[in-house]
Amino acid sequence: MKSYKELPDDAGSNIVGQVTAQANRISKRLTSVQRTVAIMSGKGGVGKSAVTANLATALTLAGQNVGVVDADINGPTIAKMMGVRNATLEYAATGVKPATTKLGTKIISMDLLLTEDDAPVLWNAHSQKDAFTWRSTMEVSALREFIGDTDWGELDYLLLDLPPGTDRLPNVVELIPNLGGVIVVTIPSEVSHLIVKKSVTMARDILKVPIIGVVENMAFYVCKHCGEHEPLFSVEDTPNNAFQLTTLGKIPFDPKLSRCNDNGTPYLNEYPDTPASKTIREIAQKVQDFFQT
Amino acid sequence: MKFLCIDCDTAMKFKDVTRPEQGSVTAVFECPDCFTEIAMFLNPSETQMLKSLDLKLGGNNEAAQPMQMVRSQLETGKQDLMSDISSETGIGEKAEGGKCPFTSVISDAFEETAEPAEPEGLKWTPEALERLERIPSFVRPMAKMGIESFAKENGHAEITAEVMDAARGNFPAQF
Ligand SMILES: Nc1ncnc2c1ncn2[C@@H]1O[C@H](COP(=O)(O)OP(=O)(O)OP(=O)(O)O)[C@@H](O)[C@H]1O
Ligand SMILES: [Mg+2]
Ligand SMILES: [Zn+2]
Repeated sequence: MKSYKELPDDAGSNIVGQVTAQANRISKRLTSVQRTVAIMSGKGGVGKSAVTANLATALTLAGQNVGVVDADINGPTIAKMMGVRNATLEYAATGVKPATTKLGTKIISMDLLLTEDDAPVLWNAHSQKDAFTWRSTMEVSALREFIGDTDWGELDYLLLDLPPGTDRLPNVVELIPNLGGVIVVTIPSEVSHLIVKKSVTMARDILKVPIIGVVENMAFYVCKHCGEHEPLFSVEDTPNNAFQLTTLGKIPFDPKLSRCNDNGTPYLNEYPDTPASKTIREIAQKVQDFFQT
Repeated sequence: MKFLCIDCDTAMKFKDVTRPEQGSVTAVFECPDCFTEIAMFLNPSETQMLKSLDLKLGGNNEAAQPMQMVRSQLETGKQDLMSDISSETGIGEKAEGGKCPFTSVISDAFEETAEPAEPEGLKWTPEALERLERIPSFVRPMAKMGIESFAKENGHAEITAEVMDAARGNFPAQF
């Protein structure tokens, strides 16, 4: 009786061929993208999306062609933060035309595909009962399509705003084997630092992805009355020492920034002279330096 | 996944796959020598796993449409998501595989040798498809064929609810 190896193919489904075709779609698309950067954090709500949106704007203002993938499939916020939530996507043979901000940043997000009302992401299935077994596979496929099927054109930077947690980075690296680097966002608290360490271990030690540096967000707030820097959280020093990571910048808490995020207006444009804006521009510069050297 | 006809010691070939019914898909394989057929049932989880990976049993002959998985599988998606998903040009490369194009996620026929393609399968509007799903499963394949041949005879390129209404007189199943 013949063995598995002796049979010519998988009875005609050519699963390997299909998977290869999928991988080729993405790598072909990425040939016109110079650098890919994933923005991650161990903890939720520390400002990944805010950092991504503002970094994208800063790089765009610095004359770079920038695209942003909202890799947070279930909690997409980038479209709103960048003011393109009402954009309509165009499906062309060459790919999906991304939404474009007034400044020219290109954006793809689940938000742009969902119905107008605040619909959750619900996948077609016979039953949602066992959704946990396949839901994350759906999400990875969605991400693959977002990266590979968007008509980005020529990009200097493609930023990926990841959902919280360290578990998504392996998927991203699978999709983008030569991921340019990772930015880790944290807030100055011990819980957040603890999880930063997990992110760093995952990225640098397990996946061998270069870490561009750490952004400490909501690091302090600037007192309106005296201009002093007041700490917002308990911990003073960053977790970088132990890990020898570059601190890309410490972004102060600024209510104007969160208001701009909510309105979808570019903070850097509206308030170019605030401490936070200066820091964000410095971060953008350091990211560019990272890829120069 | 490979199948062997033990009697002939020959690799079985993919023959056909049904649309999901109760979330489950049936694939038929045939021995090219003795024509014995076997059926493989995928349970709903396995079916769903294939869908979520955007893989097609029996090979994928159609060039990939941009974001075809998201657009076809997102229940809470905008109306226009499916607008031109079946247009002629695709962005992806074809994986070598079956021949009969089928807009459902799991394609419905396969033969290894590239034969001249059969005429395009008729397109079903989402509304029509939904009505098709309401037909009891045991008569659905017949009803589907009946509606399709009715549509072809009457020169409809696409099966809409109206076409179904018009076809309804032709056979007993209620839909
Ligand atoms: N430096 C800042 N100053 C003021 N508000 C900020 C700052 N950074 C982030 N925010 C606000 O904090 C909230 C959370 O930020 P954001 O959504 O970017 O976090 P996140 O890490 O992406 O969250 P999630 O883990 O849910 O994706 C948002 O309302 C944002 O506008
Ligand atoms: Mg976020
Ligand atoms: Zn046989």
